[in-house]
Amino acid sequence: MFEQMQNWYDKRHAYAKEWKKNHPGGKVLGCFCTYVPEELVYAAGVLPVRLLGSHEPQSVTEPHIFGMYCPFCRDVLAQGLQKRYDYLDGITISQSCLHIRQAYTSWQMHVPTGFSYYLPMPNCVQSPHALSYLKGEFLAFKNALEKWTGNEITDEKLRQATELVNTNRRLMRQVYDLRKQDNPPMTGLEAMYMVVSSQMTDKNDHSKLLEKILKELPGRKMDRQTGARLMIIGSEDDDTAFIKMVESVGATLVVDDHCTGTRQFWNETELKGDVLTSIAKRYIDRPACPSKDWPERRRLPHILKLAKDFNAKGAIIIQQKFCDPHELDIPAIIKDLKKNGIPSLFLEFDVTVPIGPFRTRVEAFLEMIGQDDLF
Amino acid sequence: MAKEYWRWPEYRMTVGEKDWKSGKIITAGIDVGSVSSKTAIMVDGELYAFSLMRTGSNSPDSAQKTLNWALETTGIAQKDLHYIVGTGYGRINIPFANKAITEIACHARGANYVWGNTVRTVLDMGGQDCKAIKCDEKGKVTAFLMNDKCAAGTGRGMEVFSDLLAVPIEEVGELSFKVETEPQPVSSTCVVFAKSEALGLLRQGWPKEKVLAAYCSAMAHRVVTLLEKVGVEKDFVVTGGISKNVGVLKRVEKELKTTALPRNAKYDPQLAGAMGAALFAKALVEKERK
Repeated sequence: MFEQMQNWYDKRHAYAKEWKKNHPGGKVLGCFCTYVPEELVYAAGVLPVRLLGSHEPQSVTEPHIFGMYCPFCRDVLAQGLQKRYDYLDGITISQSCLHIRQAYTSWQMHVPTGFSYYLPMPNCVQSPHALSYLKGEFLAFKNALEKWTGNEITDEKLRQATELVNTNRRLMRQVYDLRKQDNPPMTGLEAMYMVVSSQMTDKNDHSKLLEKILKELPGRKMDRQTGARLMIIGSEDDDTAFIKMVESVGATLVVDDHCTGTRQFWNETELKGDVLTSIAKRYIDRPACPSKDWPERRRLPHILKLAKDFNAKGAIIIQQKFCDPHELDIPAIIKDLKKNGIPSLFLEFDVTVPIGPFRTRVEAFLEMIGQDDLF
Repeated sequence: MAKEYWRWPEYRMTVGEKDWKSGKIITAGIDVGSVSSKTAIMVDGELYAFSLMRTGSNSPDSAQKTLNWALETTGIAQKDLHYIVGTGYGRINIPFANKAITEIACHARGANYVWGNTVRTVLDMGGQDCKAIKCDEKGKVTAFLMNDKCAAGTGRGMEVFSDLLAVPIEEVGELSFKVETEPQPVSSTCVVFAKSEALGLLRQGWPKEKVLAAYCSAMAHRVVTLLEKVGVEKDFVVTGGISKNVGVLKRVEKELKTTALPRNAKYDPQLAGAMGAALFAKALVEKERK
């Protein structure tokens, strides 16, 4: 049922090239972070694709990026340096963390494209001035997109694009809702393929498939046991090999707080009054990346609510090695979950993960939260 | 052939005194670690026989060999075993085991058996990783931490040093105390780097025992960090091969400012995981028979 989504993800480059063929004159914009406002990009008639790594060891980034920057930003940059995204017409980043910004600036320097845009998304989204600031930046981004593409971005186009993106978000939430069932009709791996593929395909194609899936999904019978219901929380994560391993040893991931998951699509843009302000408000209010979640730590009640709504019995907390924003948040998250009766297992990602040792930890964690009948 | 200083003794024993045939549940726990393979045979939840040997390149073979050796001379045949639980790094690759359970759960359960229900913290120092485990009065894990992807603080690291300094591995611990003042620990916890650092120290004229002291101390420091993260609660015990190395053990105690329960003379602490596995096997038989 989700094979097509896996296929899109696995063959992301072929998809984008095909898209360009079918949209003569259409441009593809590589996005370094999920804070890039997709509404604006679609309104300009451009396809936004999120730049992700390939989880292969490489040595091309060594001269360009500091060794203690996270493996994800290195892996992303490696894709550029290896010319795997040679069809991109432009790149953009919305400020989130320093590490991924380094990947962006290095890409800009070594893999030049016709358009590169740094969008200074405020880090302190909780500031009362953040919204008006971001609206101003979105306006500047809109102008830059217009100049680049030659397409005027009218309010009407912004409204249509918002509806397109919102529909996709809404449909993915409907799919997620089904995971609240005692026996979810899908795996966490399938959910991951669904969300990451939405970040690299045309929302028209993706939503069309989602509508089809939503017709069949409620009646779908799984030929596997649900096992322990787990939540997964952490930094950028599209490590499908890891997810697959977790779900092969007696667990199902029922919900997540990842930017390859809920953080990216959870809330919609509510069009009220000025269109750009409405869109900016959506990005200010979305479930925060830890680089933006201060002075108040709003992620805690949000994560706890997800855990409760989806009845998670334990959590895997996983971060990219050296990811400072997540490193700062994780102790507080572990403590908060524990206080609320949800045990957690902490792990650190690299470009590739050592599946054997990680399997031992995950199995021991599952034994810890279950198997009472052996004592 | 050059002397293999790292080589530790492989052995087996039958310790049960009753006739195993009078037992209701005969189980085996097989712990295929990255360096050593162990089997514990239990009759009604009491240790009956065991073996301890080096792991070969192939998990199923190592498991079969250690099992055969443990059973040797006991009169128990493999088919007499009601249940076999595999554990350790090779646990998922023991074709004849009925079930696999992680070494983390097994060490906690085994420590509970060896030292009693007051054990709350277990430090398992194995061949290629070490684990700080918290458990309850039943020996059930409540929290744990493992070191990452590296042989520092493990048996394999100690073997490398034993070979480098040409000191038989069983003498490393005692020898490391034959220093007038405790040296600074080697600064690197990576075995490869620590080895280069040790070579440098030897060239500067450090005696072997001083280098060993510096390495034991670095290893102790490394595992103490792990223990402090998980939080040490008494009673505290140490299992796994390195628990037999007083050079590391005493330095861990000193740095933690707490003492581990003394070794129970009846049981080899390296067998804790295998014993835990055999006890889980018994629980699983009881569950099936209900």
